[in-house]
Amino acid sequence: MRTRFARFDRKVTPLLLVAPFFGLFAVFGAYPLLYTAWVSLHDWNLLEGGQGRLGLANYGELLADPHFYNALANTVSIFLLAAVPEFLLALGIAALLDRPLRAATWWRTGILLPNVVSVVAIGLVFGQLFSRDYGVVNEVLGWFGIAPVNWQASTWTSHLAVASMVLWRWTGYNALIYLAAMQAVPSDLYEAAELDGASRWRTFWSITVPGIRPAIAFTAVAGTVNGLQLFAEPQLFDAGGSGATGGNDRQFQTLVMYLYEKGFTQFNAGYAAALTWVMFVVCALFALVNYRLVRRFVRAA
Amino acid sequence: MPTTVRRTAAAVAALTLLAACSPADSGGRTTLTIATFGEFGYAPLIAEYEKLHPDITVQNRVTDFDTHHKGLATQLATGRGAADVVAIEEQYIPQYRKAKDKFTDLASFGARDLERQWAPWKWAQGTDGDFVLGLGTDMGSLALCYRRDLFQAADLPTDRDEVAKLIPDWPAYAAVADRFTRKTPGVKFADSAGTVYTAMLNQSPENYFSQRDDSFIADTNPSVRTAFDLAGGIAAKGQTAAATTFTQAWNVAIKQGSFATVACPAWMLSQIKEAGGDANKGKWDVTTVPGKSGNQGGSFLTVPKQGSHQKEAYELARWLTAPEQEKKLFLSDGILPSEPSVYEDPQVVAHTDPYFGDAPTGKIFAASADRLRPNYRGLHDADVRPEFGRALGRIEDKTQNVDQAWAQAVQQARALLK
Repeated sequence: MRTRFARFDRKVTPLLLVAPFFGLFAVFGAYPLLYTAWVSLHDWNLLEGGQGRLGLANYGELLADPHFYNALANTVSIFLLAAVPEFLLALGIAALLDRPLRAATWWRTGILLPNVVSVVAIGLVFGQLFSRDYGVVNEVLGWFGIAPVNWQASTWTSHLAVASMVLWRWTGYNALIYLAAMQAVPSDLYEAAELDGASRWRTFWSITVPGIRPAIAFTAVAGTVNGLQLFAEPQLFDAGGSGATGGNDRQFQTLVMYLYEKGFTQFNAGYAAALTWVMFVVCALFALVNYRLVRRFVRAA
Repeated sequence: MPTTVRRTAAAVAALTLLAACSPADSGGRTTLTIATFGEFGYAPLIAEYEKLHPDITVQNRVTDFDTHHKGLATQLATGRGAADVVAIEEQYIPQYRKAKDKFTDLASFGARDLERQWAPWKWAQGTDGDFVLGLGTDMGSLALCYRRDLFQAADLPTDRDEVAKLIPDWPAYAAVADRFTRKTPGVKFADSAGTVYTAMLNQSPENYFSQRDDSFIADTNPSVRTAFDLAGGIAAKGQTAAATTFTQAWNVAIKQGSFATVACPAWMLSQIKEAGGDANKGKWDVTTVPGKSGNQGGSFLTVPKQGSHQKEAYELARWLTAPEQEKKLFLSDGILPSEPSVYEDPQVVAHTDPYFGDAPTGKIFAASADRLRPNYRGLHDADVRPEFGRALGRIEDKTQNVDQAWAQAVQQARALLK
């Protein structure tokens, strides 16, 4: 009796203990995912509900939609403009913080601060900084005799401005992750390198960076997914209000903004759902490619 | 042991039930929620209503224009979360009229007896055949707000009657813009091309869609092209501050006096006051709008079907839109009622606004309302409209000229309707 109960206990209890996760995942993860897939196969008005089955027509239309490719290109462009300097800066900052410092905790908390500030506040502040007529950035450029730039008006300037918000927000976060990983790199490796007479630069690239490879891979994947879901910063940067078109010529409309425009401005929920699934695939592909790139780059170093 | 379990379960169930009911019925009182956007000026009226109905508590949820209307779509789609009384702005009315099964037919509470309160076009906007979707609140009859001091600096007349004579129509407006810019090149004449365009467009009975069969006529309707060319022309000459109404840039531009004129619906006066602050008091004035009249904005109070107190919600909406209350709103906040008996009321007509140099706003807006011709809004008006606004924005951004912007707007509007 007792042993049978013990056997039962050993089998079932672990399942029960992990069950809440699967329950939550089913409700908040799998169900919306599948429901979105179902909606994407229909002509679905947000207000009126399903208007009939379309099959893959929403996807076909999406793949022929110039606004979709425009949003995709904008998203990737802003992502690259932000991510490359972001990761390099984060590495640099982490390396600086990894050395013995006075008031180390103060510095380490300080660099996380931008990430804690509400993204809405960041959007509003940067929107003001980059304002055409009253912005600080143009004011400063003016000291060097550069004519005021209408940051929202053209593709490159708007991408730079939005990327600067992303950079500001995420650099410290990534730096802290790198820092944590750096502190786990065995110190005898550094001592050996010092005995061999390696320069600080050489030590950094040959020991520190390969030593924190898992952290870099993590930030690459997480950063990609975040970057491709960019919404609040460009949305708040839009001086023309919140039409979700990212400027008058969609010059900084990201994928999520386009999704929002389709779903919640035009009430075309079916199309928006199809876009969600395409984004899911795009995110997965990009994350995979980035992960591979990071592995190869770091191994080669 | 099992009894404890059962008791706990019963208690939990009871608590859940309580939690589900508590927002609606607390202590025998009925709580009604009313969702509005921007400034409806309802706070004092709601206090008064609660005093008149001791068994009712009213909560006012105020969000911004876009959040409000987009949120409502989600709430109707999911069947929960909408307030008992919800305001809908006129440009969204066609979209929501299509989903009228989500709303209570106010006719079932006798709303049709009230029809004669409103200007006929306003009543028609809120109804669909026999179905009464919403009761009209304000309307946005147009005037022209202008900066007296900036006109003086540009050697233009400053008296409001003379300004009205100087700018009888929009071509005259464009000509005065040129004169103004020659004299004071540092200051813009209009806030944005979009405001000029919208004011002009709303003066024609049809704009993007044909009244007859709701077909897309933007590219063949001369009023649309004329308005676009004139507003685009002003933008191309750099005579606008490129500041869209409601945005931060617009508030700053008002505060700094960066532009001299804005076609202003009645509801805009309180926004100019708020953005301008005391420092700009007396600098602004109000006169007749070019083209004499027009309508821009104005809302309806509706009752979504999902609410559990529809009858009470209707009573509240009916009371808020009754002439006595509408009159109070005009006198306190300058919100112009869509009810002729109110805007013809002697006290309303005699109303002046000290912030705008004691301009006779009651007389000006009432006259504009009297001359108003309603314009037809198509089912997809709210989809197509922004394309033309953004096209004007591209001219202001100097990335396109008028013809390029026009061509792209028409092409994208067509693509949307496909």
